[in-house]
Amino acid sequence: MFLAWSEIKKNKLRFLLITSILLLVSFLVFFLSGLANGLASMNREAIDTWKSDAIMLTEESDKSLYESSFNKDIADELDAKETAVVSQMGAIATNGDTKQNVMLFGIDKEQFIQPEVSEGDPTFYVQNGVVASDVLKNEGFKIGDTLELSSSDIELTIVGFTKKARFNASPILYMKLNDMQKIKYGDAYTMNKDLVNAIIIRDKDWDTLSLPDNTEIIKTETFIENLPGYTEQNLTLNYMIYFLFVISAAIVAIFLYVLTVQKISMFGLMKAQGISSAYLARSVIAQTFILALIGVVVAFGLTLLAGSFLPNAVPIMFDIPTMLVYGVILVVVAILGAVISVWTIIRIDPLEAIGG
Amino acid sequence: MVLELRNATKTFGEGNTLVEAMKETNFTVDRGELVAVIGPSGSGKSTFLTVAGGLQSPTDGQVMINGKEMSKLNEKQRSKIRLQEIGFILQGSNLVPFLTVDEQLELLNKVKKDNMSKIERHKLYEDLGITKLHKKYPSDLSGGERQRVAIAKALFSKPSILLADEPTASLDSDRAFEVMEMLRNETKSNQTATIVVTHDVRLMKYVDKVYKMTDGVLRLESAAEVEQSLM
Repeated sequence: MFLAWSEIKKNKLRFLLITSILLLVSFLVFFLSGLANGLASMNREAIDTWKSDAIMLTEESDKSLYESSFNKDIADELDAKETAVVSQMGAIATNGDTKQNVMLFGIDKEQFIQPEVSEGDPTFYVQNGVVASDVLKNEGFKIGDTLELSSSDIELTIVGFTKKARFNASPILYMKLNDMQKIKYGDAYTMNKDLVNAIIIRDKDWDTLSLPDNTEIIKTETFIENLPGYTEQNLTLNYMIYFLFVISAAIVAIFLYVLTVQKISMFGLMKAQGISSAYLARSVIAQTFILALIGVVVAFGLTLLAGSFLPNAVPIMFDIPTMLVYGVILVVVAILGAVISVWTIIRIDPLEAIGG
Repeated sequence: MVLELRNATKTFGEGNTLVEAMKETNFTVDRGELVAVIGPSGSGKSTFLTVAGGLQSPTDGQVMINGKEMSKLNEKQRSKIRLQEIGFILQGSNLVPFLTVDEQLELLNKVKKDNMSKIERHKLYEDLGITKLHKKYPSDLSGGERQRVAIAKALFSKPSILLADEPTASLDSDRAFEVMEMLRNETKSNQTATIVVTHDVRLMKYVDKVYKMTDGVLRLESAAEVEQSLM
């Protein structure tokens, strides 16, 4: 540590440069992780609030909520601890000023997926009343607004807002199942009023349930992974993050190696004097650790700071535990980057310091 | 004897490319003794220095440092002996560029015990006239000052052997004599066995004995021969 820190103190600029590069890479990693988390959340936050174990869909829907459709009576026959039915449709809603792409979710009264109303009438379950995702509030919608829908003449009224209610990147309007079916099926309502898209299941032993023909039950997580675009988007961002780990290891490796090569004769002299390779190697590793730690910690703070200045349109959401794990990984890969330098130091022959 | 070479040789290569860098050499040096090894470049001086300093093993024969047979040891063990027993003053400057004078010595405290105490260090600084330089970096020192710091660094670990490789290279005559004077004083006051490898015959008047290296053969010079080379 003594040697490591003394050198940093003496050559501040040199080490400031390498730290700032590490800082920028770490910043990008943290930022992307926030973005990945935020984007994932846009897709899944509503589902997460349900705290369900599994979801039942028709087999031919291929795990897609939109394509699945069956009679809701199935829910009563199902031997699960708790079930909730969902009927879903997409629409464009407008309050006269603002248009917004929304997802209508028709649900039955007093089922566990009923949203917690954060603002407005907690008993929201009134004729054509909807509890809307609070994302709409930021878009200029208010309680009491009358909503016209693109696909129906029926008008809805916002009676409340709820937090964390986005599904596949669209804000949800929760409403009474029956009202929703009228909008969804129009003239064919009578014939189709019992058709729902899915049954949400709360039961740890969901995989032992006996199923009606042509249906399947999948784990909630599997369902989420099969949301359109979800996995693709997640993998893309995560690969970028993983690649950044490799990049930061490479940057540290190259930078330290250049510094080490410059110091070969000095290391040789020190080895000639009997200072062990292990001591010199530890010093390089300590140096890397100090630099990486400073870079990562500052980047962590800067990311959180930058996040608070971003407009709402940027779907960034920081998950501190994930960021801490990434921070540790960044420090570890930086130290791995020092391995080449350590190897170089070990191979330096003290004889060469004396010269032939 | 602090350092003893018995029939030590060093050869490189084999067959047609065999080079006898150091032919059968017998050499001893004791505490408080300052000896010089002179010779033109390529004569095998450096080979002698690295073998005597435990940086490499002799091909044949023995090197004893304080009674320990060096050729039986591996690099790690030799490194330990170097740290404990030998102070190196190497060509140019063997100072770490990013450490202050104090830190150069402090570094040794990190890797080795039983170095000079604060009081001893203070006296060493005074002897060498570097007391005012203790917070400076090598780049802020003149060549002579750097060499004096290098001597301080070599002596700080209280070595029994002091090996100096061209300690006066890059110094003008006055500075060179000054450095030799100091080496001589420190050799006597710290009772080290000091070997100065140099090609500078002007320095001979400071040493107790002169060995001459010619084509790998080390030979003790008589007083008359030394006198002659000084002419």
